[in-house]
Amino acid sequence: MNFTQMHSRSRIINGIRNFFHDRNYLEVDTPLLTPALIPEAPIEIFETVFTSDEYGSFPLYLIPSPEVHMKKLIASGSGNIFQITRSFRNSEQLGPHHNPEFSMLEWYTMEADYHTSIATTEDLIQSLAGPDTPAHMRPPFRKITVQEAFLDYAGFDLAETQDRPALVQAARKLGLSIQSTDDTWEQIYHRIFLNYVEPNLPRDQPLVLTDFPRQITCLAKELPGTPWRERWELYINGIELANCYSEETDSTKIEAFFRREYALKAAESRVVPDIDEEFIDIHRSGFPTCSGVALGVDRLIMAMSGQASIEGVIFFPLSDTIRP
Amino acid sequence: MIRAGALEKGMAILIKGDPFVVVEREFVKPGKGSAFVRAKLKNPTSGQVLRETMKTQDQVEEILVEDKDSQYLYADDTSYHFMNLDTYEQFEIPAKTFPEYRELMKEGDTYTLILWEDRPLDIKLPFKIVYTVTKAEDAIKGDTVTGATKTVEVETGLKVKVPIFIKEGERIMVNTETKEYVERVNQ
Repeated sequence: MNFTQMHSRSRIINGIRNFFHDRNYLEVDTPLLTPALIPEAPIEIFETVFTSDEYGSFPLYLIPSPEVHMKKLIASGSGNIFQITRSFRNSEQLGPHHNPEFSMLEWYTMEADYHTSIATTEDLIQSLAGPDTPAHMRPPFRKITVQEAFLDYAGFDLAETQDRPALVQAARKLGLSIQSTDDTWEQIYHRIFLNYVEPNLPRDQPLVLTDFPRQITCLAKELPGTPWRERWELYINGIELANCYSEETDSTKIEAFFRREYALKAAESRVVPDIDEEFIDIHRSGFPTCSGVALGVDRLIMAMSGQASIEGVIFFPLSDTIRP
Repeated sequence: MIRAGALEKGMAILIKGDPFVVVEREFVKPGKGSAFVRAKLKNPTSGQVLRETMKTQDQVEEILVEDKDSQYLYADDTSYHFMNLDTYEQFEIPAKTFPEYRELMKEGDTYTLILWEDRPLDIKLPFKIVYTVTKAEDAIKGDTVTGATKTVEVETGLKVKVPIFIKEGERIMVNTETKEYVERVNQ
């Protein structure tokens, strides 16, 4: 147990709270257990069972992020909100960047878009930096679009490879040696991204990768007139630290996303939670324009204190109990 | 054929007819996307290094390899010299294929070679090896800060960060993967 390290963890978390309180965000505390969720095909969920003589038994799920509840608060008129909560993701590799339960900071800013959230995140990191904070952690952030990153590190224009045959050809040219014929556009995109782009992203200062392809479906708004979405991810020292959207407010698009993701999830996932139908409903009557950021607190603390693994900044990482 | 998700470090696979050893393997998950396996593969003959990202359910061709215990004799500029313990026959492996092993292998020790059709694909080192400290500076007097470290050299030339109480001539156990100090060995 490194209690010196844990003192700096405690200071950083306190610093995050002060930052948002100073800006008049309401700190909220929403459930970890829920009967229904936003369907997200790639995320494996922890399932448990509620049992009672009075109500019988039914499944409950541990939240993979507090989004579902926080957006219900926004729809009810909460205004700007934030919370630091435990989140749970199943089936991920244990180790330096993953523990099945982790601390997540999530905040939503009204009347804001994803650009506003970059500035807020820069201010947040700046406010947390101390004399020992490594240079590559300090703002300003470098901003690169996904299109620019592909041009620089994969050597082709993603705007011109929006159909599958064109992307397959680009992948072949790069020399991905193991070809599989059933890859979707998104899977080929990810293979190129993970193999050629992500490992080469500059690490000398925090990096915001913006404008992800529209074909990677999520609850981020589409950037009008382009094949992109209003979404960014923050990388620090090559590690993904935060994800941000201009939040989708169109209930028709949200419903279509829910149905499609649920079908994918039903086909691929071990645990298939019910869809939270109320989540679609809250978008039918004028959901506020807002931008949300989800940030991995353990990874942030790891990066701010120059550690190589989150295992050094959390108590009792699961990997300790599983490793020989 | 096996699933890419079942690949492990040290396994060998065939790509377009050439053998590659899995040097690194990690599961990666993009922010919004399914799980992939990112592997660093090395062709031991040519030294060619490939980085591949596969879906966990993709199929790869595993090759059957043979383990053979051999005694490490010495290294020169270009090769590692080994002896087959059954036939006492000597053979060499190009050092450029496994440059990182130069400072880890101890002369006279026996290591397991991974062979494919009589070609050495990899040298399997024990997870931990005991070395003797050959160069160490004395700790500075009064330096009692908990966790203070210094760098020492062991008989293979490897430099290791150790606690300040370690002295020249002492034996220390080192993790061969991370090249980090594990503990002092008292004998």
